Amino acid sequence: MSNFNLTEDQQDCLQELINVAMGQASDQLARYLDTFVYLKVPSIEQVSSQSLIGTLNPSDTTVAVVSQGFFGYEGIRGEALLIYQPKDSDKLADLLGYEPDELSVEEQIIDLSSILTTTFLNVFASQIENQMSYSAPRLLASHKGAISEHIEQQSYNWDLALKVKITYQVTDYSFNCDMVLLIPESAIVNITDVLDRILASF
Amino acid sequence: MSSSILICDDSNLARKQVLRSLPDILSADVQLATNGQEALELLTSQNFDILFLDLTMPILDGLGVLQGIKENNTNIAVFVISADIQPEMQSKVLSLGAKAFLKKPVKKEVLIEQLQQHGFL
Repeated sequence: MSNFNLTEDQQDCLQELINVAMGQASDQLARYLDTFVYLKVPSIEQVSSQSLIGTLNPSDTTVAVVSQGFFGYEGIRGEALLIYQPKDSDKLADLLGYEPDELSVEEQIIDLSSILTTTFLNVFASQIENQMSYSAPRLLASHKGAISEHIEQQSYNWDLALKVKITYQVTDYSFNCDMVLLIPESAIVNITDVLDRILASF
Repeated sequence: MSSSILICDDSNLARKQVLRSLPDILSADVQLATNGQEALELLTSQNFDILFLDLTMPILDGLGVLQGIKENNTNIAVFVISADIQPEMQSKVLSLGAKAFLKKPVKKEVLIEQLQQHGFL
């Protein structure tokens, strides 16, 4: 297992790219829900597949999680997890303005997740002169242990990953969801090359 | 015309983006703050003409700085430069006294246009 700690400048550069992407994704979300979205400073950290579950609020065992893979040029790839609390997913129909039974909660969650993930990553990609393609969003079973089961499966694919966590909080409804991006170690070197290129231009 | 400038952003890259967008005539007297608290401390101890202010920051965010400026009656032109582009946020910062809202990443021509519009160039 290698260590890919980003330098302070690389971390700062990545954080700023994420800030800009997060801002535009939250603007989309705000327009979609016709409300205001409160933004927090995103967190970036290195995680091992063993420790990841502990960083994702392990006490919240009954969350709904949507997973969507992303793939760009230059070997930039990863997975986005949209994590909802059960109380929040119940509020979605109201937030989205759907009539009861118009669309299942699962379909609403997938819709919203896809908007957030693709808006965020398209803006991120455009800043690094890249372009993303996406796998279909997948609702991981919203039953007890959904996150841990999924993460256990992921541990077969990577030992270390860069974890980026962004919280979208809709103030009117006390609704929030976390977007967690997991970039496996094999893709990190490609990200750092891009960051170094941006930093060299300053 | 010489103006003293404070740039407040938690990102080193973002601070550099603002710095390199400034015309030479304004880039001589610039100080930097990495969060809102630092900015307010500098504003109480020194006089500045212009503040370029980020919103999403640790310790004290940009809205907190705008509130502080209002409460202290500090005479300064604030240009908010933020990634939080929601219309409600833009209205909020303008109602708190900011001169303008500029979208991140800031573009040199936009920054210069705003400085001209507000009489700094």
